[in-house]
Amino acid sequence: MKLLEMNHVRKEFDGLGVLKDISLSVEEGEVVSIIGPSGSGKSTLLRCATMLETMDGGELKYMGETAASEKDGSCIYASREDLKRIHSYFGLVFQNFNLFPHYSVLKNITDSLIHVDKVPRQEAEERAEKLLAQLGLSDKRDAYPYQLSGGQQQRVSIARALAKQPRILFFDEPTSALDPELTGEVLRVIKDLARQHMTMIIVTHEMQFAKEVSDRIIFMEEGVIKEQGTPEELFGTDNERVREFIGHLSK
Amino acid sequence: MSIQMIILQLGKGMIVSVEIFMLTLLFSLPLGLIVAFGRMSKNSIIRTVTKAYISIMRGTPLMLQLLVVYFGPYYAFKVRIGSGYRFVAVILAFSINYAAYFAEIYRSGIESMPIGQYEAAKVLGYGKAQTFFKIILPQVIKRILPSITNEIITLVKDTSLAFAIAQAEMFTVAKQIAAAQTTIMPLMTAGLFYYIFNLIVAVAMEKIEKAFSYYR
Repeated sequence: MKLLEMNHVRKEFDGLGVLKDISLSVEEGEVVSIIGPSGSGKSTLLRCATMLETMDGGELKYMGETAASEKDGSCIYASREDLKRIHSYFGLVFQNFNLFPHYSVLKNITDSLIHVDKVPRQEAEERAEKLLAQLGLSDKRDAYPYQLSGGQQQRVSIARALAKQPRILFFDEPTSALDPELTGEVLRVIKDLARQHMTMIIVTHEMQFAKEVSDRIIFMEEGVIKEQGTPEELFGTDNERVREFIGHLSK
Repeated sequence: MSIQMIILQLGKGMIVSVEIFMLTLLFSLPLGLIVAFGRMSKNSIIRTVTKAYISIMRGTPLMLQLLVVYFGPYYAFKVRIGSGYRFVAVILAFSINYAAYFAEIYRSGIESMPIGQYEAAKVLGYGKAQTFFKIILPQVIKRILPSITNEIITLVKDTSLAFAIAQAEMFTVAKQIAAAQTTIMPLMTAGLFYYIFNLIVAVAMEKIEKAFSYYR
């Protein structure tokens, strides 16, 4: 089943086309990495998919349900109730974690479960503790974000997203704000999730990681998908530009 | 008049000063938040009106505002004002004046919040009100506490402006006794009272700031 479908997505900033007619669909259990130079529109694509940006045109569907569609040249979003339900289908892990600094690790994970999804407190805490154990953070349950390293904070934010039990998880450059020493622990967590067949879309600059974890890699540049395929296909491409980009970053 | 008598009289005035202080905070802190929302509104009419309001409140003397609020109803509309209106006028004038200052402090705090906090809340499904009251406001309060403390300390001293409409708070009392007895003592004592009042305020605010220091 197609969990996510984006058709002919357009997005402009101040008249400048950032996404030019992008179409992309993701099957259940698929891990898709999006790579490309800065300004290629890959983060904007993710932000359109997660509805942090409104699209200027095109269609957005989750599990066959329409979140946004194009009508008379502009984008119409679904009703508030529909969007609320659709929002529960996906999670997003930010580059800068965006944990709530005034909440403990446990509360960061459980608060929205309790107050948005109306999960009973006990169940929410059990879910959180299970995830924390899984991510090796059990001893940090009562810590505050400022007491954690960047890698730990990012793992907490992954736990926070997973606790909502999303069908699809987005990562927006999850290791870009981390020291090279700390990226490993976060990438390991994502690899574990891939092994458990979590559906994921990952915007990343980590070429080796993308190659290892992905079922499919998308190369974006200047607001369009220039090339896509399995890691083998992409890393063995004849496309001069893609080779140059990958080669440059793999060094 | 004995020193005990002076202190007793001043103490009575002090109670009125504390009342002005407390009631002003009670009304102006929430009102300031509403004004801040108006100032940041997407609606340009609301934005312009609140901007003008803040500009006038900050740009004219509080003492003048006090006189306008107190005498305005009579001069402008020939409304008879009872003696009970005096205290109401003080609270009204102080509240709308301080709300303007608090509004700008709230705004600075709200605008300094990283956009990522809103985005994380949105992705987790929090509604607009939940996002503001659970995620944003607690962090804003921590950020603006030092500025609020400044403003509150100013308010303690500003309560003395109520003498302009002969509200019998501490400063008015001190001035009366000093004039009647031709002695500087009541003024010095009043000064000491204000100082102690502010010392208490400063200690209390420091306690509140500490209560927010469990996170960074």
